[in-house]
Amino acid sequence: MNSEVLENLRLELRRGCLILAVLAELRTERYGYTLRKALSEQGMEIDEGTLYPLLRRLESQGLLISEWREEDKRNKRFYRLSPEGKVILKQLSAEWKGINASLDGIL
Amino acid sequence: MDWIERYLQAVKFALPKSQQDDITRELRDSILSQIDERESALGRALTEDEQLELLKKMGSPTQLASRYSPARALIGSAILPIYWKVLKAALMIAVVVVAATCIAIAAAGRPLRDSLHALLNYPNLAITVFAWVTLAFAALEFFGAKFCVSDRWDPRQLPPLTKERRPPSRAELITQLLIQTVFAVWWLTGLHDQRLIFGPGIQFLHFGPIWLSLFPLFLVAAIVDISFTGAMLFNPQWNRGRRISRVIMSALGLVILLILLQTPELLSPAHPETQAQSQVNAINSALHLGLLVVAIINVINLAVAATKLVVAKVGGARRVAAGS
Repeated sequence: MNSEVLENLRLELRRGCLILAVLAELRTERYGYTLRKALSEQGMEIDEGTLYPLLRRLESQGLLISEWREEDKRNKRFYRLSPEGKVILKQLSAEWKGINASLDGIL
Repeated sequence: MDWIERYLQAVKFALPKSQQDDITRELRDSILSQIDERESALGRALTEDEQLELLKKMGSPTQLASRYSPARALIGSAILPIYWKVLKAALMIAVVVVAATCIAIAAAGRPLRDSLHALLNYPNLAITVFAWVTLAFAALEFFGAKFCVSDRWDPRQLPPLTKERRPPSRAELITQLLIQTVFAVWWLTGLHDQRLIFGPGIQFLHFGPIWLSLFPLFLVAAIVDISFTGAMLFNPQWNRGRRISRVIMSALGLVILLILLQTPELLSPAHPETQAQSQVNAINSALHLGLLVVAIINVINLAVAATKLVVAKVGGARRVAAGS
């Protein structure tokens, strides 16, 4: 019971952070697989089943732009921040820093 | 590679139609990129087991596809794809039940309006089915029952790849089923009440007695035809069923045609004492000629359908023997 509650809370905590991390990583254009690797290398593990639907959702919200291009003889979908996404990322980063500073004090 | 395509096929099946190709293209690239990286790290190609392990880590196709659906309160995204499929299946069963009821009513020789009444009752039945299925899934969601497939699902149980040839859509099959049902009801009822077939011409012409004697064969043909279409609704890719149905229907048609060809009086005049008898005789001769042509075409159809059935069966057996 306790571990289930912990797992749910952990997922909830990670959800918002992941969005911020994905937006920040996409200041540079990447396709899904390299984005996942970049996140993983910085300690932000994310599985395909979470990442790809998230990218789709962020794109439908106008925060990302994507296009299909061929690379290494394979078609890949490249994502990057849209102008609106850049503004949102800036605001979310400020929000994150504020929360982080508050939590540091609280914890 | 076959397992990857089978996995993607299963994911695609559970996705909304408008996004199927786009999402599976992206997932294919992601899987292939992972394989490329692992293979270059290992310096060799991945084994079948390693490929299957990679697919297993991605989660079951239904679970993966469900994450692309927007969140819903009444029925959660984890069971939503299953809900849609169960609902569609239940509504199709209701269509088959209504069709069978219409045929049974017509076969019992009851008036056409009774069959129509049964047919028009479908919307009520559909609403009831929708309510019960939704209620059951909402209860499942509410009480926290989950389809725990993430750890237990086995990639080896993925269905084999289907051929590219487009199977008939469910909408096409439902239309076909409705047309078959309406035609069967009209024809079977019309054999008892010939005004439905001849209209005002009933004052001059009747069917000969042979047509009513053939009623059981017409009934069997209607049931077989509708049953196969009903079965195809559940699995539109059931090519073998389509082939079997063609063979049975051609064989039944041939039997009926041969009996009719041996019957001199296909039609009879409403008033035999008048000079209409000679005109009806001429019509009967023309009908015999027409039926003969149809019978020849039917023999060819039967031969082609039977050959396709045998060839498909032999081909399937060979593929099984080859382990593909």
